[in-house]
Amino acid sequence: MMITMAYTLSVTLMILAPIVAAVLLRRRVQAPWFLFLVGAATFIGSQVVHLPLNDWLADIGLLPGNNSLEASGISLLQTCIILGLTAGLCEELARAAGYALLRRFRRFEHGLMLGLGHGGIEAMVFGGVLTAATVSSLLPLRDMDLAALGLPAVQLTALAQQLVALENLWYAVPPLVERLLAMTLHVILSMLVWRAFDRRQWGYIALAIAYHAFANALLVYMAQQWQSISAIYGLLVLILLPGLLWLWRVGRETPIARPSLTPWRVEWAAFLAATRKEFIQLWRVKHVLAVGAVFAIFGMLSPLTAHFMPQILGSIEGAELFADLIPTPTVADAVGQYVKNLTQFGFLMVILLGMGAIAGEKEKGTAALILSKPLPRWAFVLSKFTAQTALYIGGFLVGMLGAYYYTLFLFGPVDLGAFAFGNLLLLAWFMPFVAVTLLGSALTRSLPAAGGVALGGSVALLLTGYLPKIGPLFPGSLLAWASQVGMGVGDAPIAPQAGALAASGVITLVCVIGALAAFERQEL
Amino acid sequence: MPAVNGCAIRCEGLTRHYGDVIALHSLDLEVPSGSIFGFLGRNGAGKTTTMRLLTGLAHPTAGRAWIAGLETTNGDHRARETFGYLPQDPAFYGWMTPHEYLDYVGRLFGLPDKDRAARIAEMLELVDLQDAAKRKIAGFSGGMHQRLGIAQALLHRPPVLLLDEPTSALDPAGRYEVLEMLARLKGAVTIFFSSHILADVERICDHVAVLHKGHLLLVEEREALLARYPINTALLQLDPASPPAQAFIAAVQAQPWLTSVGEEGQTLRIVASDVDAAKRALLPLIVAHGLLVARFEWVRPSLEDIFLQVSA
Repeated sequence: MMITMAYTLSVTLMILAPIVAAVLLRRRVQAPWFLFLVGAATFIGSQVVHLPLNDWLADIGLLPGNNSLEASGISLLQTCIILGLTAGLCEELARAAGYALLRRFRRFEHGLMLGLGHGGIEAMVFGGVLTAATVSSLLPLRDMDLAALGLPAVQLTALAQQLVALENLWYAVPPLVERLLAMTLHVILSMLVWRAFDRRQWGYIALAIAYHAFANALLVYMAQQWQSISAIYGLLVLILLPGLLWLWRVGRETPIARPSLTPWRVEWAAFLAATRKEFIQLWRVKHVLAVGAVFAIFGMLSPLTAHFMPQILGSIEGAELFADLIPTPTVADAVGQYVKNLTQFGFLMVILLGMGAIAGEKEKGTAALILSKPLPRWAFVLSKFTAQTALYIGGFLVGMLGAYYYTLFLFGPVDLGAFAFGNLLLLAWFMPFVAVTLLGSALTRSLPAAGGVALGGSVALLLTGYLPKIGPLFPGSLLAWASQVGMGVGDAPIAPQAGALAASGVITLVCVIGALAAFERQEL
Repeated sequence: MPAVNGCAIRCEGLTRHYGDVIALHSLDLEVPSGSIFGFLGRNGAGKTTTMRLLTGLAHPTAGRAWIAGLETTNGDHRARETFGYLPQDPAFYGWMTPHEYLDYVGRLFGLPDKDRAARIAEMLELVDLQDAAKRKIAGFSGGMHQRLGIAQALLHRPPVLLLDEPTSALDPAGRYEVLEMLARLKGAVTIFFSSHILADVERICDHVAVLHKGHLLLVEEREALLARYPINTALLQLDPASPPAQAFIAAVQAQPWLTSVGEEGQTLRIVASDVDAAKRALLPLIVAHGLLVARFEWVRPSLEDIFLQVSA
């Protein structure tokens, strides 16, 4: 339990730290959220080239690929240098492409936000999602006989070492520290590329590539030589120092656009007022009633349907034979029906109820009037997201209680804790749909357009589960986990999908930031 | 930061382009504190664009603007406390009551609970919506919307009111109510009032600016502006029993001294370029066409005449 908590905290911080850093940066300099997303896009774009490039280099024998160094006959030094160079080339050139396209955003403070977005999404995905996925795949192995896995001896040894390390709570800290330091490196590298465009001295891009390659190569090489993680991080800090010193000096001599600061408590009070209004609105326009009714119906109807299915089929003329073929319904059937009902109709409900949140206000003109008051745009957007999140939490609570009661009544005892956790996972699956609908609403100016974007985004989300290799890391995997956890009975091994849970959080946050970025500079 | 002395609103080179269309071209304007400033222009002149730029709801292509010394074109939220804004078609949350809407606005401005409650009651009384305070806004008439709009704009006691065509959607009674209300506010706040209804501007404004196709053509005190124009207009009010004036108008239009002739009901406004020649010719023409005259007077041009002249 402590291990789970430690890694949950670590993963949460890896996902939230970039956003907190961006919020703090925006309090000091004028840097739009849009640039955070551009930075994130340059990272993703760079990986689209970087990963296949490394695979190709492995294919032609320059990198070991899936083989060990010994088996491939390639030296560690060569591997480190090539890996460093490909990372440097791909990421810095992607960054340069970003600056080349953004002619209006070439100020010092813009570079900082771009770097934060690039390093931030890397921390969220490579740090948060992959750490969560790795830990959740290791946890069930702790009580297993590893020899039964049938792995080669080398992999078995490595796995055993990982499991030993997992038992040490402090091992949850290094991934977080590593990501924070890497994010700092990305900000420095972003500023080097910014300098190239600011001064039109293209040598700075070469310097950024070299700096990136040197840092990566040296760290990977030394990681193989030294056993101490602290020593490796100490080395990374040493590598960062000259870059930070340069950045500090450039920052001192560069004019920086500062935002007009409104005290936090004033902005917070406006956010609370807007959130209060959203709650009242959800109640008055009967969204609370609609969500409560839908969840209550699905909650109660799912165990009922599962329980009475044989009788229902038996009562249909000509279908009596099928009734005999259906096995006696169990808790698993009730929970499966509940998950199926909520997921099939749930996201459509999210779109229908959420698409007008911002687009509707723009269309009617209410947003223009209220945003001429001292209500920050972020507070306007986040108040809507907060109220909708609360609405669906309430909906799941109603649905869960209904489903739990009827399952208990019709099928016998069910572990309430496990059932609640299953519902929490379903809520986590739901949230990206809420966020993508908010994004659609922020991007567009009419209800049909908002609905279209939200539907397109939702379908894309549903399809992510079918992506080769990385599909299991997307939120769709949460449904299987929720079904298994929710049953709370049976011998079927529960496969935690913490990577998908973390990915759900990242997608939700990125969509909300997208909504903020889109709405921030929009004219009304 | 430009000087604020005596100046409630200041625009410097305020410009807005929409692609190739110039909605507003380098507007330089100073609105004196305490004035009721009429911002005149035909439809599409750039009045609403100016309002949206001043409120920060749109972004200038170039230039800056300040209200009560705070820049409003740089996204500074604090500047929004310096003005109250009433758009052309104010839109409210239909599910709210006026009391709830004003309460929400009061919370956004951080008014303390006690002050907020007192101020809401005061505003509802000012705009005569006390009886409708607990009714849903969805059922309100256009006039009630406009009055609620003025209440929400004034709630936080702003030094400047920005009103975009506040009377254009109202019937005569509604217009009268709103203009009376604005006239009562004179001196207490600076009112920047855009309109294409010249009679409204002439009635309550003490300063006038004329905008045409995004260009500022004229800024002046109303009295000075009217005084600057000579007495060159003959006001001819016909008796209801008078025969139709069409033949007379056609004859006047053929005169070489004529600038313009306007007809509104039984009243004709004849603007002359050569007043002496007109004085000699008009009465004989009236007699020749057998018109029955209730009133005949030489007057200064109206704001409408001036507006039509400068924006021709």
